[in-house]
Amino acid sequence: MATQKRSRQEQILYPLDWLEERSGLVGAVRYFLLRNVPADTDWFQTLGSATLTAFLVQATTGIVLAMYYQPGPTTAYASIQHITNDVWGGWLVRGMHKWGASVFIILMFLHMGRVFLFGAYKYPRELNWVIGVFLLASGLAEGFTGYLLPWDQTAYWATTVGINLNGTAPFLGPFIAQFLQGGTYINPNTISRFYSIHMLVLPAAIGGLIALHLYLVIRLGVTSPPWSKTAAGLGPLDGSGPNGSGPNGSGPDGSPVAPAPALEGSTSG
Amino acid sequence: MARDRIVERQRVFRQYKEDVKTRGKPFFPYAMLHDTIMSLVVVLVIIGLAVAWKWSVPGHHTGTASGWLGKLYDTPADPGTFNFVPRPDWYFYFLFYLLRIFKWPPSVILGTVGIPTILLLLLLALPFIDVRAERNPLRRPVAMTAAVLTIISMGILTYKGATAKEALGSELIGKVPEWAKEQGFEKNPLALKGARLFAVTGCLNCHTYLGSGNHNLGAPDLSAIGSKNLGIFFQIAHLKCPSCVNHGSPMPSFASQGNANLTALATFLEASKGPH
Amino acid sequence: MDPSHDNPHVPGPSLWPVGLAIGATVLLVGFVVSWSIVAVGAIIAIVFGILWLRDLTRKSHAREQEVRVEPERRQKGPPRTTHVPRPARTEPATPETMPRNVFLEVTTLGLGGVIGALVALPVLGFTIGPAFLKQGVSHVDLGPLDGFPEGEFLITTFTSSESEGFVSRRTAYIRNNGFVTLPGTKTAQPSFTILSNHCAHLGCPVQPNGPQQVKDTTHYKSVTRIPVNPSGFGCPCHGGQYDTEGNRIAGPPVRGLDRYSFSIVNGHLMLGKPYSVAFVTGKGADAQIHAATLHFPGEQVKGIESWFYPIQPPH
Repeated sequence: MATQKRSRQEQILYPLDWLEERSGLVGAVRYFLLRNVPADTDWFQTLGSATLTAFLVQATTGIVLAMYYQPGPTTAYASIQHITNDVWGGWLVRGMHKWGASVFIILMFLHMGRVFLFGAYKYPRELNWVIGVFLLASGLAEGFTGYLLPWDQTAYWATTVGINLNGTAPFLGPFIAQFLQGGTYINPNTISRFYSIHMLVLPAAIGGLIALHLYLVIRLGVTSPPWSKTAAGLGPLDGSGPNGSGPNGSGPDGSPVAPAPALEGSTSG
Repeated sequence: MARDRIVERQRVFRQYKEDVKTRGKPFFPYAMLHDTIMSLVVVLVIIGLAVAWKWSVPGHHTGTASGWLGKLYDTPADPGTFNFVPRPDWYFYFLFYLLRIFKWPPSVILGTVGIPTILLLLLLALPFIDVRAERNPLRRPVAMTAAVLTIISMGILTYKGATAKEALGSELIGKVPEWAKEQGFEKNPLALKGARLFAVTGCLNCHTYLGSGNHNLGAPDLSAIGSKNLGIFFQIAHLKCPSCVNHGSPMPSFASQGNANLTALATFLEASKGPH
Repeated sequence: MDPSHDNPHVPGPSLWPVGLAIGATVLLVGFVVSWSIVAVGAIIAIVFGILWLRDLTRKSHAREQEVRVEPERRQKGPPRTTHVPRPARTEPATPETMPRNVFLEVTTLGLGGVIGALVALPVLGFTIGPAFLKQGVSHVDLGPLDGFPEGEFLITTFTSSESEGFVSRRTAYIRNNGFVTLPGTKTAQPSFTILSNHCAHLGCPVQPNGPQQVKDTTHYKSVTRIPVNPSGFGCPCHGGQYDTEGNRIAGPPVRGLDRYSFSIVNGHLMLGKPYSVAFVTGKGADAQIHAATLHFPGEQVKGIESWFYPIQPPH
């Protein structure tokens, strides 16, 4: 029992087994890493994880910036100058955050375009697309709220226009604008509000939506590129040549229409 | 009918899952390697941009001077400013330019909230509008056409938004020596005075002159107005009351400038015979 | 069942060790704080220690006695004189009741709703409240009337609220139109054209189209006045153009420039509340201003589209 000497491998695996027995997390990570994806998954399909990386860069640099940034009309500008000019590495973190925002938005649009091109918004992935559109809107809102925070001329006036844009909405417009401003005109409340939305509300929403988005990707599976011959990204199931099309042409997931389900002697996957 | 379609697509999806399970490749390491490389590229690009932004700013890399990638920060916010040109962040340029397109006041609400809301709703509704199961782009002509049109128009709108310029007096006044040289009135002090007034009194908000100014309000180009030989008196009378001289002209009156200024302006206009 | 009977070597359950532990802790704390507390701790420890020891030796006898007592108690109750079965308490005659599990579910959800409301309503009020804020009128003193030469526009920059400081800096284009006697009145009143420099399209800062005479800037406290001779005003954002009365001549602005109301107090020009303007007919002192309550930029105040904005937040 406990007195037997464990092999080297067992010694390494013991903590993982301990964790797995009590939480099931190790199994979940193993499933995520070792699940199958279609064999000809493309470089195009790296855009989604690239967007996630950009978001993580934003979150990390944002957390560090929040340690030095001081919101408020009298202190914000000076703290930005301080971060850019004096704090060691401050210019790099601020620069990464500012340009990371642009990269994040570009990648979101590219990823959206790739999903559109691949038709990967169709059944059964409609919900994932809807979540993605909400992520796009939240990302753009992050850019808008973050733009005010340096409190320089560009920030102040771009935000004025943005708030007034919302104000032109029928019926509720003036109330929305006043809600965003925290008053009848831009005042110290505005920058606090925007900071709270930028730092707390939207990142939480984006984090939650990303979790849902990834869960759906894992559950529903990654699509093979639309020019694939089969759903699994390999040749047809009847083995008629590596690039020959199946007997009835390709269907919605690239799989041959009405294929034979027999899989004996299938090639290694 | 609908039931058959639902059953069929469920069957196809099950087949897909089965296929991938037996003939797919594990995510790690095959696909994950691609993801990791791409993510590394993304991080390096972000760092590279940050470095270029900071180190290309002249003057010890601090301050409000502009480098290759713009300024590190602008001057502090001044809510009482009357000299600043607001612009949004670049990824909003397409919306910004949309606002410049919708100039007719009753249509303004379309540009501010109408079109962006409609676009967002279309995006959300996409999977429910496009219910065909076909994924091959070559067999989805409507989708591909819509995508290409969207990309091209957003690209054009973004570019136009980036290059949109107002004819600001403070910037145009610097062009007066260049105008004088091209038109040949460097030696005429009254024409020079008129040129400086022309630059700051907002004429180029509606007219164009030697490449500066706005042409989308329908006002004529004035680079060669002098070649029509309309005469100083005509020019002054026109400036005082444009709609009296030119029926239906929307141009406002510049009588408030006073006779001395109007004479200088008229001299400048008459001296503008067109570039050499 | 009974550990002291199954395994006589293990002591039965007891609370006295807790008291002993407390006493020991207080004793140690006393070493740091004060000697009297050491004494108190020692006493507590000793007392509880003795009680525990007593328990360890006497425990088994006490339990058997308790067990015998209990059945006697249960026999007490109302004496049964008849054999009529009692009506079951779970079926009363008239009122309807719900099953217990449904009652519990409803109560849980209901209480959850109450908690949610208790937390959410004040938070919501806190967040949305400013949408209904009143602006508050603060009169801004722009200086004596002779600082405003007649017929000349001045780019006037002032602080509209001293308590908010720099964030409330505003600019207005002010022209003294001289004196005017309104029809039906006898005395001449000063007339001023005071235009807000926020564009009526989306709020960008409107620029004067004319040479600014920066050398002739005058100051009065924190107010700056720069003479300018504009032929009109233009907006650098989307190309809106206004004439010298603030009427829109070109571009996307949906109405004229907003104006400020004003008053003269002790010979000083005082700015009051701003208001929106549909359009202006006439010029200078003879201008007829078609005014409306203050609207956000981009909102029509006249015509069909003004019906989109029937209610304004309180100003």
